[in-house]
Amino acid sequence: MTTHKHIDIIKRKGRRPTESFNRDKLHQSIVAATLSARTPEGQADSIAHAVTNYVLEWLESRPEVTSHDIRLVATRHLRAHHPDAAYLYEQHRTTL
Amino acid sequence: MDIASSLAIVTLAALIHASFQLSVSVLTLLSGHAIGAKHSHARVLRLTFGYVVGVGVMTLLALSFISLIFLHLFGTEAPQFVWAVACGLLIGVGLAVWFFYYRREKGTSLWIPRSFARHLSDRSKATKSGVEAFSLGLTSVISELLFIAAPMIISALVIIQLPGAWQLVGIGIYSIVSMLTLFSIWVLISSGHRLSTIQKWREDNKHFLQFAAGGALAVLGFFVYVCKILTDVAGAI
Repeated sequence: MTTHKHIDIIKRKGRRPTESFNRDKLHQSIVAATLSARTPEGQADSIAHAVTNYVLEWLESRPEVTSHDIRLVATRHLRAHHPDAAYLYEQHRTTL
Repeated sequence: MDIASSLAIVTLAALIHASFQLSVSVLTLLSGHAIGAKHSHARVLRLTFGYVVGVGVMTLLALSFISLIFLHLFGTEAPQFVWAVACGLLIGVGLAVWFFYYRREKGTSLWIPRSFARHLSDRSKATKSGVEAFSLGLTSVISELLFIAAPMIISALVIIQLPGAWQLVGIGIYSIVSMLTLFSIWVLISSGHRLSTIQKWREDNKHFLQFAAGGALAVLGFFVYVCKILTDVAGAI
């Protein structure tokens, strides 16, 4: 598991313990959403790379963010690559 | 009440049950996680089918259980006040569905306890085998009881007054018809339809589904009230 510079992620408005930002975790979640939209594996992986790099750039100047912020930023960038995957990624928490 | 009217009431109650969305939401989540986890298509089919069977079995068991309880309590004919309470429950739940079924936010979040929703969401992600998917199906029906109890109760009251073999037919009709939506979504997912298309359709039409389910509950309550209570009262006079 690789981690970038130390950035604290506040989970679910502080209701769950804060954890360090994990690039792989974000990458995997975007791959999963993109695969769910019936995208080939290779394409899903490259889209996830692009989105993860964008989120990392966005995080550079921020020592502490919420998981909701990361989800919003990732969704915004994912939408440009794959609108269906972005929709599923965004909807994940509001399906049930 | 004759057999045809009784089965028509059971069918309408089952259609209302089919319009409720919790089981469909869990199926969408389950298949999303299974596809996202790079499982083979055969495994996705196995998991989702296990889930659908679980929902069917629990629906069958729940309706049989409620019918059995009523049969023990009231025999083959429930008292008028029980029918009146059941009709009131249908109309009350119908109004509640109109106002509270979906949460006032984006997506298809339902007014069920958040702990239930989190549990189902976490389990849909953790489900790896057909048996786990089957038990997830059982659990999702229990989580939906708040909404499906009313159509199940009225169906049970109708079923217990039918002759023996027709009781089984009534339970069978309810179980099959109430699964129609879930089964259709399973067929769509199995045949390769995109989850985003299915979820978008559900989100775009959620207010219509909410209105239809609530309205149908109220109509069914009113129909049974007229058909069972007012007719009996008029007959007695």
